[in-house]
Amino acid sequence: MKKLYLFWILIISTILLVGCQKNETPVPDEVPIDVYQKLVLAETLSGMADMTKTVIRVSGNLGLPTEYDGVTITYTSRMPNIIDNNGIVTLPTTCWIESRNQQGGIEEAFIGLNDNWPVVLDVVLTFENQTRTAKLLFVVAPQEGYSCNKYLG
Amino acid sequence: MKKLSLCLLILLSAICSFQSIYANDSDIIYQDSDYNRLKAVMQHVDNVLYYGHGYNQETLLLPDAINTLTGEPARWVFPNRASVPYADLANQQNFFRTLVALSKVTNESKYKEDAIDMLSYFMENYQDSNGLFYWGGHRTINLDNLEVQSTEGPNGPHELKNMMPFYELMLEADEERTTRFMKQLWTAHFEWATSDLNRHGSYSTAFDGNVFGQLIPDDVIKMDEMGYPIIPNDSPGKLPFVNAATDLAYAAFALSHQTGDPVPKQWAEYLMKQYHLASNPDTGMTVYQFKSTLVTKSLEDCSNPAYTNSGCGDRVARQFRDFGSIARESNVAWKNTQAVYVDNVLMLLEAAQKYGVSYFVDWARDYLEGYLEYAYIRIDGQNKIIPMFIDGTVTYGYVVPEVGYFGPSKMRIDYVDLPSTYLLPIFRTIVQTEKIEDRAKLWGYLRDIMHTFGLGDIGDVDGLSPKLELDTAIDDPFALMTMVELYEFTKNSVYLDAARTIADNIVTKRFHRGFFVESEIMLYSRLDQPDTLALLTLDAVLRGISLTDMPFYLADSGYIHGYLLADDGVTEDRSYTQNVIYTKTIYDWE
Repeated sequence: MKKLYLFWILIISTILLVGCQKNETPVPDEVPIDVYQKLVLAETLSGMADMTKTVIRVSGNLGLPTEYDGVTITYTSRMPNIIDNNGIVTLPTTCWIESRNQQGGIEEAFIGLNDNWPVVLDVVLTFENQTRTAKLLFVVAPQEGYSCNKYLG
Repeated sequence: MKKLSLCLLILLSAICSFQSIYANDSDIIYQDSDYNRLKAVMQHVDNVLYYGHGYNQETLLLPDAINTLTGEPARWVFPNRASVPYADLANQQNFFRTLVALSKVTNESKYKEDAIDMLSYFMENYQDSNGLFYWGGHRTINLDNLEVQSTEGPNGPHELKNMMPFYELMLEADEERTTRFMKQLWTAHFEWATSDLNRHGSYSTAFDGNVFGQLIPDDVIKMDEMGYPIIPNDSPGKLPFVNAATDLAYAAFALSHQTGDPVPKQWAEYLMKQYHLASNPDTGMTVYQFKSTLVTKSLEDCSNPAYTNSGCGDRVARQFRDFGSIARESNVAWKNTQAVYVDNVLMLLEAAQKYGVSYFVDWARDYLEGYLEYAYIRIDGQNKIIPMFIDGTVTYGYVVPEVGYFGPSKMRIDYVDLPSTYLLPIFRTIVQTEKIEDRAKLWGYLRDIMHTFGLGDIGDVDGLSPKLELDTAIDDPFALMTMVELYEFTKNSVYLDAARTIADNIVTKRFHRGFFVESEIMLYSRLDQPDTLALLTLDAVLRGISLTDMPFYLADSGYIHGYLLADDGVTEDRSYTQNVIYTKTIYDWE
């Protein structure tokens, strides 16, 4: 009888102790892709911001990456006449801003002060229907022989 | 034997049940490290009270900041070399919130009682007969002789800019004096006939018992035929800065809540509506002011660009005239943005939550979404803002041809930092947005901004799958409060783990010589610093106290502005405590 009791106690104890274990999610064989991290890396490593560090003085293709490690990258320009959505640059024919003095007079010192255009591109990085947005700001010089007669003040 | 086996079974079951409970609540077990942080806050508070009250035992007032090497009050040195230890209660509101929060988490009423005693004493002794208190940007109390001191000439005006006093406690301390102040704040600062708002209020303006008795007028802001707001340029030097309006509105909301009279609240809604109407309908970005100044100075005076008096008209129209009609002070989105998108939004959200103005949440979301959509950019791994006007016209790289109100000639407009103070308004807007689908856009920005700050990934909008940087080196009170509120919102304990790390970092990096300071080498501990309140919000959550029962962080914008002796000891300067006094390090102290 004693042995039977001991046997039952052992069985029940085992069941209870097993029941006390935390429910743990089984570890999958493959580590799931961290999509957000992938999008972050694409922004950082794709080289899309490389040309934002210098003034762009030549028309042509910026060579913006459209894909990095499976991440699709698209661009929407806020000034498509200067940089289009494919990263093609057309140097503008006018200055960005004409600066004059408070009385509206032209001053030698202000000529050429604000010629270069800041152009913003909105970027969308996409992987597996998840997206991350970014922005790029390029500075573009006007083409040779540009005009600058556009004072707004 | 039967009994023995039964006992064993019961024992095993009990152990098992205990483990289950432990496992469910394991994230809110109060730990030694939690207590160590609380101890640091208590030590700071005890030191502030000990040294602060010790300087002049004839008063209950505390100095705005304490020299952490000597325990002496910070001093404002006037151009005549008079060195004045100052107490400006408008700049101590986070300390009062800290005291109340400390009473909440410790169950010791003495801290709150101290706060009430100090506020009662202040209101009894330092309220002008017209109802305004002697506090704010240009008035303070001299702790040597306990007299009122003006830092802006002999008769400095009343000025509050995003100071948002702890009205709940003030009303508890002295309801009559507090409500008198709230009414006079409007009488002294608001012009009922023209809806002009002056950031400066006069102590000579008589008290008006019927202050809100006027009929609410038509909106100041009208739309042109294209649906864009027309910003009037008829304000005679009384610029309606939003940081002053925020305080007026906040006072009126609190007054209506206290008295049950709906009219002050209606005026507050009217006032804030003018800023909303002046916002850009295309971008959603909002404004710092809804009027420009009337030109009252002569052409000759104003021909000198260095003369930046607002009587020469809109100061941005003068200095940034090259941009044409968009160049107005109201439309600048790269300066004073903390006032517009942080302090103002926090007040709108507080008004929505506590005072029932629920549509303010939609406004807050429009402003933040517009601003972040157009201007938020990551540059070299840092959160930045592209400088622009509120219609989206970029000003990045612009070289200012002439000197003016915004800076010297040849100044180049660069990216602007997006500081961690933005986290709370963005997150609280998300929380207070009812429809889940309307939360996604701001959550995306919050996720990117927090990741860029080095806090890790807060995950999707449900907050269930974050991958936070649990070893983060961030020691930022705003990041801490956001993590705590993220936990409160999602009940995901990972946010609490991150909050604990940040809180530990705050204590390690900012608690020195018995006080909280901005960093180890900084000389002064400000009473308005947000660190202690942030640490106590975490402590409250760890103890199961709801954040709705805790004092709410609103701002730490307290400052004094006026004339003082420059560091060279010779020249006269006109500056702020934040620029001249609170920048001093322990190495500046002789």
